[in-house]
Amino acid sequence: MIQTVTLTIDGVPVKAAKGASVLDAALEVGICIPHLCHVPFLQDTGACRICIVENVKNGSSRVTTSCTLTVQEGMNIQTNSEKIRKLRRNLAELLVAQAPNSKAIQDIAVRCGVKEVRYPFRNENCVQCGRCVRYCTEMWKANALGFVGRGKNRRVEFPFATRPDFCKNCGSCTLYCPMSITPCGGPMKRGEEHLCGKCESQAVTAPNIIGACTRCELGKGFSCTRHML
Amino acid sequence: MTTIEPILEGRRSQPDQLIEVLQDVQKICGYIPQDAMKTVARELGVPLMEVYRVANFYKAFTLKPRGKNVITICTGTACHVRGSDLLIDQVKGQLNIEPGDTTKDGLITVECVNCLGACALAPIVVQNESYLDHMSPAKLRKIIDHAKGKKKKEASDAQVQS
Ligand code: SF4
Ligand code: SF4
Ligand code: FES
Ligand code: FES
Repeated sequence: MIQTVTLTIDGVPVKAAKGASVLDAALEVGICIPHLCHVPFLQDTGACRICIVENVKNGSSRVTTSCTLTVQEGMNIQTNSEKIRKLRRNLAELLVAQAPNSKAIQDIAVRCGVKEVRYPFRNENCVQCGRCVRYCTEMWKANALGFVGRGKNRRVEFPFATRPDFCKNCGSCTLYCPMSITPCGGPMKRGEEHLCGKCESQAVTAPNIIGACTRCELGKGFSCTRHML
Repeated sequence: MTTIEPILEGRRSQPDQLIEVLQDVQKICGYIPQDAMKTVARELGVPLMEVYRVANFYKAFTLKPRGKNVITICTGTACHVRGSDLLIDQVKGQLNIEPGDTTKDGLITVECVNCLGACALAPIVVQNESYLDHMSPAKLRKIIDHAKGKKKKEASDAQVQS
């Protein structure tokens, strides 16, 4: 028998399997916590920080990533407080400034209520979410990709920067990369980056649906794992 | 790779020996060659990616062959304030290489570090293993000339003075 714990997420009592993450528990019952680097069945590393929640304990609260937070009996989680919304919006804004050429990231920005980007666009082709590396390592046991370098030089690379013969050519690294789908309007050149807003219709409803998962179409873009299960 | 055989002796199939083995490879070869990384990965049972990642991570490991003379310029805060960027300009101008590179003739490699812990003597330059204090572009020029084997006498005189 699966052992369960009971916790409260956004005021709703939720039963979750012991050892599950708060993110999984919330998604399971249809509470939407936007997330990017989480992939079901892979080790969570808390790389993107989008999935932050408030963990309220004895009247004080700690902000932490829900994908790396294990459920505990009697926990009180807020996924959608004023404070979280503000922090998450800022995180999404930073992500979209880093990589505006990803539909997934543009969608996350819309989903998190970003209205303008106050940071200079970097237009990088990686946000270091580590999805590719973890998929390659954990699912395929191929170890063909990894992070190398430190600080601002940290990047995803093959060993010696060339595809090794033990790469299984499975394509998972590209498939799970949030950068693999460009915004509908096509890739943005340097100097032309902007908040996409092409899905304005969805953007309008976004503030209203925050909190509840409606299996939104946006989810497909932002690699919401509900579409993978 | 015959040269790294002795290093691997008694350490095969011990993934936790990775860093020690790489340190020894660095010592013997002067850098970490790709073939050595492949051999180490195979013999220690560590994924090649992991060996590559570790070798890339630590400053103590170099992936490119280094020159006969290694000139290390400190760019830490104290050295920076006392003009280490002038030293870097000197190197760039004189050798036509960027920090981290080696001259074509394989004589000189220039590197940068962040603070050597001798800030009172800033700016510091390390030539191979010896620390040179209170450096100036002019002194550095002589050292480089010396390393290049030019104007031998003049340069060695300068070194005695400094
Ligand atoms: S295609 Fe190669 S590098 Fe990409 S996930 Fe598959 S095995 Fe890893
Ligand atoms: S390459 Fe793609 S999947 Fe891999 S870390 Fe970068 S953004 Fe993430
Ligand atoms: S940090 Fe939790 S999903 Fe990325
Ligand atoms: S800053 Fe150069 S030795 Fe400390």
